[in-house]
Amino acid sequence: MRRPWIKILSSLIALLALFTALQLTAAPAKATTTYQIATDSTFPPFEFANSQNKYVGIDIDLLHAIAKDQGFKVNIKPTSFNAATQGVQSGQMDGVIAGMSITKEREATFDFSKAYFMSGVVMAAKPNGKITKLSQLRGKRVAVKTGTSGAQYAQSIHKKYGFKIVTFDESNDMYQDVLTGNSAACFEDSPVMKYAIRQGTKLKIYTKPALSGPYGFAVKKGHNQKLLRMFNNGLADLKANGEYARITKHYLGAKGSSDTTSDRTFLGLLKQNKGALLNGFEETIWLTIVAIFFATLFGVIVGLMGVVPSKFFNGVSTTLIYIFRGLPLLVLALFIYTGIPSLTGQKIPAFIAGIVTLTFNEGAYIAAFVKGGIHAVDDGQMEAARSLGLPFGKAMRRVILPQGIRIMIPSFINQFIITLKDTSILSIIGIIELTQTGKIIIARNLEGFKVWTIVAIIYLIVITLLTWLSNWVQRRVRL
Amino acid sequence: MNTKIKVKVSHLIKTFGDNQVLKGINLEVHDNEVVVVIGPSGSGKSTFLRNLNRLEAPTSGAIVIDDMDIADPKTNINKVRENIGMVFQHFNLFSNLSVSENIMLAPVELQKKTKAEAAKQAKDLLAMVGLESKYDATVQSLSGGQQQRVAIARALAMNPDVMLFDEPTSALDPEMVGDVLEVMKQLAKQGMTMIVVTHEMGFAKEVADRVVFVDDGNIQEQGTPDEIFNHPKDPRLQNFLNKVLNV
Repeated sequence: MRRPWIKILSSLIALLALFTALQLTAAPAKATTTYQIATDSTFPPFEFANSQNKYVGIDIDLLHAIAKDQGFKVNIKPTSFNAATQGVQSGQMDGVIAGMSITKEREATFDFSKAYFMSGVVMAAKPNGKITKLSQLRGKRVAVKTGTSGAQYAQSIHKKYGFKIVTFDESNDMYQDVLTGNSAACFEDSPVMKYAIRQGTKLKIYTKPALSGPYGFAVKKGHNQKLLRMFNNGLADLKANGEYARITKHYLGAKGSSDTTSDRTFLGLLKQNKGALLNGFEETIWLTIVAIFFATLFGVIVGLMGVVPSKFFNGVSTTLIYIFRGLPLLVLALFIYTGIPSLTGQKIPAFIAGIVTLTFNEGAYIAAFVKGGIHAVDDGQMEAARSLGLPFGKAMRRVILPQGIRIMIPSFINQFIITLKDTSILSIIGIIELTQTGKIIIARNLEGFKVWTIVAIIYLIVITLLTWLSNWVQRRVRL
Repeated sequence: MNTKIKVKVSHLIKTFGDNQVLKGINLEVHDNEVVVVIGPSGSGKSTFLRNLNRLEAPTSGAIVIDDMDIADPKTNINKVRENIGMVFQHFNLFSNLSVSENIMLAPVELQKKTKAEAAKQAKDLLAMVGLESKYDATVQSLSGGQQQRVAIARALAMNPDVMLFDEPTSALDPEMVGDVLEVMKQLAKQGMTMIVVTHEMGFAKEVADRVVFVDDGNIQEQGTPDEIFNHPKDPRLQNFLNKVLNV
């Protein structure tokens, strides 16, 4: 009777050990001269992936030039602006450069470098001239991007001008909301807005830059002071030797580095972004395979804990299922990626955090139907097996599980497809899988509809293949 | 008759929540004896039987089979169960296994028999219950009566000393009942110790060494078939027999 518990326990311990090992091997060795720098994935012209899927932009080029000048190395991690700032606060990242305005509130938790760029917030609206002044916004919706100066500016004046604020995570979604007419206008940093318009966004800037504010490179307050000093020294050097002027002119000069001339048909977009889409696709497939493996392991163990004759294990199983099925995947992902490092001081690579998230969430669903599948087997089967003298474990393995698995197979296939789709949510913690790749491409070329269509079709193709594969396996095993 | 006591039940009590189903049953069953338990439904006779191999854990009391107290949680119940065969009302054949695999599973897993030995034994047992042609059949292809006979063969494969029958014919179509009872009679003749819960009064009269009448969680009367069926003393037994015999 005792044996099965030992087996289950040892499997659990092995699983934990595996996670720890993965985390250790995947965590980059903390070389003294390589800093982990977070940036926004979609904030052109400050940071964006170019058509070769390489990260470029004013921030990126400046940082690389400063690093070279000062003799340190940087590893730049594009993620969302919120995840980038939270990553620094939780110690996941050493610094953030993301077109980040220096504000009083932020100075409470960040130490900023000297300003490296002066920006300001402008209002953009459809070029039909219906909305040209702030005073015309009364009773209308105004789009902003979460956590930006534009959002702060809107917050400070929305009572005075009587408009309602709607927030978005991505610039392109914000522009689209104005283009479709849902929002009357948007507030955006002037260089960003200018770049977007040059990329073909059909909006027009109507106001002078307000809230003129400096951009700074930031580290967590009281941490990484050496990095901050090197940034300041490097910046001074670049300004002195003309490199700074060269970089900003490259992106903001009359002949900026835009690719409006490139082919904007479906085929053209597919061709230009083949590499990026392929990388994103690969990441999605990896996430799916690894997550399905661990989620199945976790789910089967937790599901079995729910059916063994032990009140304790039943309770553990029910609780785990309740918690991880109850939490939205998005919240769980953010909690694991930014929450846990804040508590433990231990960095978690985004990929590992993503796998852990999916393991718990998808695993909880698997556990629920594993439990249900076993319960669906007639009690008489277990009684008959036990009456012959078979121990619980043997009865389970030889009689109950073979029947339960037959009941579970369609649920497994369904869960695998859901897992594939759910990997897209991990774009929130900056994993550059297929969805995040889509966001990044759109940030550069602002072709939301076409790029999302391509991404959607890729998902559908993979899901179709996965369904065929599942059906084939199902026929082969003749369960 | 051999007087060695095979099963000794002392003051067995079983409660489900507030409901006391067994109220202190005492019973001794001797080697080679066939005991038939009768009584109205809800009287606790099935629960009694399920306590004998601990499918239900007794609330209190002792059940000693071959000098081992199975009510004691320290007893290795799996070992004891190997010597107690059980036949269920709803057969409970393993639906993921074939007829022969049903019979071979426990001997191969628990007695470390080789596949060949177990297969030979399965063939013999199937011949005994008259189903040798069903060796490779699926469980789903059998009739209820056939399934129950396979279930008996499965229980016998572990060479038990005691067989428990929990209403083995109640779920069968009437024309199937005879075949199953015939197999049980044959077993009794071979000297198997049997405890049978049933509504088949004919079987009780013909085969039982002793008939036990259970009502309201207790044994109200017991005796030879002649004493029970022809000279019942307890008014509840008289009432029960009136109902079941004069349909």
